[in-house]
Amino acid sequence: MSLEIVPVDHERRYPPRVTQFTEPFWRGLSTGDFRTTRCNSCRRLSFPPKPICPHCWHDQVSWESLATAGRLYSWTRIHAGPAIFASDLPYAVGIVDLDCGIRVACPLHGPSADWQCDMAVRLITLSHTDGPLFAASPA
Amino acid sequence: MTVLRRAAVIGTSAIPVGRYQTKQTDEFQVVEHELLARLVIEAMQDSHAERSQVRSIVVAQPRPYTRQQYFSTFMASYLKLPCSGIVMEVLGNGLTAALAFDKAIDEVVLGRTEVALALAINMETAVSARDHMMESMRKTGDVDFHAPAGFTPISWYALDMMRYMHEHKVTRADIASVAVKNRRHARLNPLAQFRKPISLEEVLSQRPIVEPLGLYEVPPRGDGAACVVVASEEYARSLGIPYVAVRSRAFFHEGAHQINDIPTDMIALEAASIATRAAYNDAGVAPQDIDVAELYAPCTIVEVLASEAAGLVARGSGAQAAKSGETALGGRIPISTSGGLTSRGHPSYATPLYNVIELADQLRGRGGERQVANAELALLMNELGNYNAAMVHILEARR
Repeated sequence: MSLEIVPVDHERRYPPRVTQFTEPFWRGLSTGDFRTTRCNSCRRLSFPPKPICPHCWHDQVSWESLATAGRLYSWTRIHAGPAIFASDLPYAVGIVDLDCGIRVACPLHGPSADWQCDMAVRLITLSHTDGPLFAASPA
Repeated sequence: MTVLRRAAVIGTSAIPVGRYQTKQTDEFQVVEHELLARLVIEAMQDSHAERSQVRSIVVAQPRPYTRQQYFSTFMASYLKLPCSGIVMEVLGNGLTAALAFDKAIDEVVLGRTEVALALAINMETAVSARDHMMESMRKTGDVDFHAPAGFTPISWYALDMMRYMHEHKVTRADIASVAVKNRRHARLNPLAQFRKPISLEEVLSQRPIVEPLGLYEVPPRGDGAACVVVASEEYARSLGIPYVAVRSRAFFHEGAHQINDIPTDMIALEAASIATRAAYNDAGVAPQDIDVAELYAPCTIVEVLASEAAGLVARGSGAQAAKSGETALGGRIPISTSGGLTSRGHPSYATPLYNVIELADQLRGRGGERQVANAELALLMNELGNYNAAMVHILEARR
């Protein structure tokens, strides 16, 4: 399932570091593919992607694309933030339980001023001028 | 748990929480070691312990804004106090000063010293909130996968509160009664940062910080410093004055740092629940035996969640318990008699020692107007919310 790619006309406020290992995640995200790692032994998913399996401590994992539908477990709107986010205030963030069983935390994007716990959401790619971030939007 | 020997709190001292940190441009600077050295002298006088019995010093690592580094050996030097137990700094999120207390207890329990000092100083108020958050945002979640979203530490409590309101059909106003109740307590505490009474309407009309939490529902920024003197119970008894016995201690971390990729019940505070149960069991007591409790609860919602996890009030009833007076002074189980973190104040790397001091005052009958009548048994819980760790001590009066 492909993520909608939403252009954002400025750089990311606090860009993530990319490692040799996480590069496939960020490259996938920029093209609308939300991936993480699945253990080759116990077959469990992890997020963020990890080069080892935190569940069974096996050392071999594989990349897998995830479906991006889920529901909003909780949310807040931040009115007092770090200096680097000052021009975004206030901004909404939330916790999303994906249907595939993975929980993520990310920015909330969209016209909805009325975020609600348990509402249906989907992940999207925010395509900033310097690279991507993942966010959630009303389904 | 095998108990080697028991520890006791025998002396305390602290400065009122407030604003002490100076700007670099100020003519006269306030330096941490001058404040702290005086507190050591006062706490040792309070304890009646012999200076020669102190062979361990454990210091909560100060904020990065403190210019003096290697602060523990520096303080040992400032106080001319050679030590054969340990001289060290500790650091562990909001537990930092609780670790200083816990390690001081360890030194005594292991027999490395008869008397140990737990010290903490937190200076940060000359640094603006927005600049302070440039550092604290890196303490939330994964710095590459979550910090880019702009989470702040207290935004996690706001997430807890939204979920709690949704699940328990409780309103922001219900939960805000915790702030009103704790301000009434702070009015009676000379160490408290904010002592002027506030109404529920005033709390609800403050500007939003992290929705649904407004200014009076989140911790104020503050500076503070404290010293707690810990001794072996035999030594404490030999002094012939009231002291506070450490009945039990427990710790738990869930192996999850704020966001767990496996969905869990975020508002159950499982670590707090597990650690308190272990501490009750080791002490051979039940939640209903507790007379007074101090919690590490930076926001109103955290007192609700933590008091529920500790079994002091029923799940879903923490806000109502504050509103009805059940958790207020004079109520069934007074919680945060110090005024709590929203009113007593939250110099965070020192806060847990302020909680120890409040309970030591209560258990030594020094609570003044806020004394809980016949307080014998107290719960000290320092817990980390969605960092999913909790450290619990059960304290008991010995007179």
